[in-house]
Formats: sequence, structure tokens, C-alpha cells
Amino acid sequence: MNAPLLRVEELCVRYPVREPGLFSRDRLLHAVDKVSFDLAAGETLGIVGETGCGKSSLGKAVLQLVKPAAGRVLWQGRDLAGLSAAELKASRRDLQIVFQDPLSSLDPRQTIGEIVGEPLRVHEPLLTALERARRVDAMLERVGLRSEMARRYPHEFSGGQCQRISIARAMIAGPKLIVCDEPVSSLDVSIQAQICNLLRDLQRETGIALLFISHDLSIVRYMSHRVMVLYLGRVMEAGPRGSLFSAPRHPYTRALISAVPEPDPDAASLSHTASLDGELPSPLDPPGGCVFRTRCPLAVPVCITRSPPAEVDADGHSVGCHRWRDAVTS
Amino acid sequence: MAALLECRGLDVRFSTDTGTVAAVSGLDFDLAPGECLGIVGESGSGKSQTFLAMFGLLAANGTATGSVKYRGTEILNAPRAVLDELRGNRLAMVFQDALSGLTPTMRVGEQLAEVLVRHQGLSRADARARAIEALEIVRLPDAARRYEAYPFELSGGMRQRVMIAMASLCRPEVLVADECTTALDVTVQAQVLRLLDGMKRKAGTAIVLITHDLGVVAGLCDRVLIMYGGRAVEIGPVRRIFREPAHPYTRALLRSMPSLGADPAVDLPVIPGQPPDLENLPPGCAFAPRCTERFAPCQAERPALQVAAADHRSACHLGRVQ
Repeated sequence: MNAPLLRVEELCVRYPVREPGLFSRDRLLHAVDKVSFDLAAGETLGIVGETGCGKSSLGKAVLQLVKPAAGRVLWQGRDLAGLSAAELKASRRDLQIVFQDPLSSLDPRQTIGEIVGEPLRVHEPLLTALERARRVDAMLERVGLRSEMARRYPHEFSGGQCQRISIARAMIAGPKLIVCDEPVSSLDVSIQAQICNLLRDLQRETGIALLFISHDLSIVRYMSHRVMVLYLGRVMEAGPRGSLFSAPRHPYTRALISAVPEPDPDAASLSHTASLDGELPSPLDPPGGCVFRTRCPLAVPVCITRSPPAEVDADGHSVGCHRWRDAVTS
Repeated sequence: MAALLECRGLDVRFSTDTGTVAAVSGLDFDLAPGECLGIVGESGSGKSQTFLAMFGLLAANGTATGSVKYRGTEILNAPRAVLDELRGNRLAMVFQDALSGLTPTMRVGEQLAEVLVRHQGLSRADARARAIEALEIVRLPDAARRYEAYPFELSGGMRQRVMIAMASLCRPEVLVADECTTALDVTVQAQVLRLLDGMKRKAGTAIVLITHDLGVVAGLCDRVLIMYGGRAVEIGPVRRIFREPAHPYTRALLRSMPSLGADPAVDLPVIPGQPPDLENLPPGCAFAPRCTERFAPCQAERPALQVAAADHRSACHLGRVQ
């Protein structure tokens, strides 16, 4: 296998949180805790987990949009944290992001042409206005919009069209990686498939790598080559899409998969789903040992005292659970 | 069995600066006692406005015409006094955004107790006990303490359970759940859906589940009504519609959903184009511009709902030709 395009080593993101009260002190919220992965060109890594699991913080930390508290992000072998401001800006050409809310991530006072052409103004300043307009027109057509839309403003477009505009902006300067943070979550079902297929097509054509963040397991499975499951900022399980979905090892992954409502009236019976009881613990005060133990149907005393180490097999399928073998056989 | 709700020829219109929006047009359906009816459609298909109109909750620029009867009594545009007696008592509604459904400055328990004092004339103490019991039924952890909490102190899943507890207090005959799990995580969604299933099975509550998620419909509903551009395009038993969808929109919707059972290497078939503009609906079938099976009559003439099988109707010219 080639050297990875992106290598993330033990990345941590922490946010200071002020407690209410007179004698308050700042506490640290561990949003992402020692997350590591590699991503190769042309590959999609899906990041899945529920609200507050740290998946968006992870995506932003990879792009240095939030500063990691610890760990390293190696982009083509170079530590992004060690780059000067100018070098980091230059690297932005390779590293792009598409956000969940398509309308609010577009400047309402700029035309579509200005929005999509902005990365070219920054990264290819020698282009003439005419050349830039041509590139914008070609990119708009590539993402399924019409070139005359370049003169219009974001509010004139539907959510799906705005997401196409965001993708055009991300793609125009020829990036190598796009972080997609819930890119289809706010779209209608019929539009979700359009956007997913557009990203898959663009990946096939350009060999771009995608970090695809979503809470929707069906969509993550459709989009990703490998998948990582996060819970309270920690990696519970990661591995190739096939084995992760067909033979999930972590009890949390198993609960997540069984909670997905399947569009099949015979398969889907609410009473048969392995229910996950209890509430998500406060990320300010995560449980000691295994963070999932307070909701885990298999928890035993060792889960309280010792954080499970990640066990990796030859296929790169890793799991952090003391009892995963019991989970698989139960 | 007589229907609980009978909706006939419901039209909902909104007047805006630029024209009239036809949100719902010519909608007919019944809701039987104890059944769970799924209402599926995309943004702007009219699924929410249908029930807001029924319950007298339309925005100020909206008007509803047609007829909606609850146990034979007309409730569409009924006087406030009639609706107040029914809403929250016989007919309850749970919305997607549970935070805006709760009064922010009032403890959640008191909001529940007020419903019982208002509709059932309970004393404050009795209402409090019943409210705590209702919070326990929806498995709100530490219910007695959470009775004192303000809405902002609860998580999204807890707030949605509070809303369901409130909706179930007076044992309503009809519960309308409008995208009530859309904002929730899958594991919490499963908890909330199980609660709704329990209300249907144990209390015999008829449930209307408004959703864009066909997976949720498959797990919970007996029948499903598919809406597009403000009209019913297909209605029938869930199993039948998933097995043999008659309308091209339903077929395309089912195909375009990624599922855990499908082969991810195969590209999802997409529905091309955009949902219709409700201010400028085409004269024929609203889905025709996006339909891969359209032919001449589709653009000229609007198809009416026709019987495809027992209890199964679809509004498509194709069905008429075959």
C-alpha cells in the first residue's frame, strides 16, 4: 500500500468549559481522545457516531480549523501543526471541507460565481478574470448546475443545489482531501442520493480522498471504504466496511446497526432490535475505564477499572472492548 | 368500523407576496381507531400542513377548505372552544422540535400537570403524581427529580419523551407525531419509536407518523400515505406498498434510499430534478417532470387516485392504461 496521504496520530481535541457559579474553574471537555487513522488517496473513511461523539471536532482538527490539544496530523508526511501560516494557507488548496448546512455556509452577499471562484482567487492569483469564469462555469456544470447560475445568489437555490455549490467550491482548486461533515443530513431523501452519487463520481474521476462524517449508518456504509465508530470522543471500532457491517465486534456498533430502521416491513420489527438503554454520559465527566460501560449490556467489573486497548487483526479491523468475543458469539 | 378522522377534499393555501402557495390539494383519507398511519413525503409535500390545518394551527396567512370530521363532528375551522376541548385531550400532536414545543420558563412537570388540571379537572397534587407516573412510563431517568427541571436542562431525546408523555396524559385517541424522531440519534430514535408502538398496542391510540424516513414507516405503521406536491399519490397497507409500489414516485423513493442490506458498490438510482414549486404547479401530474415513466397524458391531465388493489390506491396514468 502507498504511503498514506493523511496520517492522524493520537489526536486529541479539548475545549475549556466554564462551570457556572462564583468559585468556578475551567474544566476540559475531551471532545476527541487519542484518535488515530490513515487515509489513502481515492479512499473514503466514514466517521460515524451519535451527537457529541466528537466526529465534527475530529474533522475540524484534521484541517486545523480547531487546534488539536495533542497528537499529530501528518499531511503527505508533514506535520500540519509545524507549518507557518503561509505554508498552512498553501496547504488549504489540498484540504477542503463541505458543511452540513448548505445555505448558511455560503456568503449571502456573494454571487455563486464569486463563491465558487474564491479558492482560485486565493490559490491561483495569476488567472485572469475570464479564465477564472471559465473554470467556474465548467465546475458548475460538472456538479450538475447550469453555468448561468454563476450570476445568481445563494438564497435563490434549494438545499440540494446549495450543497452542489459547496462541493463545486471545494473541488475547483483541485484538492486531494475533502472533509464532508454531514453533507446530506439536511437534504430530502431524493436529493441525498443525488449528492452521494456526485461525491462518488468525483472521487472516481479525480482520486480525491474523503473523510465522510455522518450519523446515518446506511449512508456511511454506501459512501465509505473503511469506517470508524466513535463514542464520547474515543474510537470503539474501526475497519473495512464489509467486515464492520457484516460482523461488527463492539457492542456499541452492534447496537447502532440494529437501531437503524430498515425499509422492509418484514425485517423491521421494533421488538427485535437490541435496545441501548440509558443516557449518554456527560462528556465533561466520562466514565472511567471503558467509556461505553454505563450503557453496555456486557459490562463486567474489569470494564470499570481498565480502559480496553485496541485489538487489531490482519485486515486492519480494530476493536476496543474487553468482551468483544463474547459480544460476537452472544 | 367508523373512522376516527375523516378528511375529505382538504385544500390548504398560503397567500404570499409573490402569489398563492398550494400546500395541500384535494386530500382524502380516513384514520381508523387504533391504527398507525404513516405520512411520507419530502419538504413541501404538504404532510405537516395537513395536520396543522386539521388542528387549527395554520400560520396567519394560511386558509383551509374542505372537511375534516372527528367522530362525525366537523373540526376544520371549528370554533376555538371546540378545538380547545379536543386538542391535548382527544387529539394530541408531537413536533420535531421538542424545545419549541415546551414553554422555556416553566418546569416540565408543571407543564404536564397543567394539561391534567385543565382537561380532567385533577387537583394539583393528583396531577403531579400522574405527571411523574407519565414521565416514568416514557422512561425518563429519575422522573421525580426531572419533574422540577426546565426544558433547556434536558437532552433532545429526554425532551421528546417529555412531549410524548404530555401527549399521552389524557389517553388521546389520535396522536400525530410530526418528524418527532428526525432530530434524534438512531439509538434514541429506537427508544422513542418503541414508546409510540407501546401507546398503540397498550392504549389503542391511533398514531399518525409524519416522516420522510421509509425505514421508520416499515417498522411501525399499518398503512402509509405518500404525498407529493400537496397531493396524495399513493395510499395503502405498508406491506403491499413496500412490496408492490404502484406509483413511480414511491418506487423511485424506495430505490433511492441507501439500506444496510443493499450492495454498496452499486450506485443508488436517483430521482433526477428538484421537488415542485408550489406556487407554479404543473397542470398535469406534479411528479411528471421528474418521472422516468411519463408519457403524453401526464403533462396534460392530473391523474386521480384509482384503485390498484383492495385498500390500495395510486394516482398515476400508467395504472389506468395497464
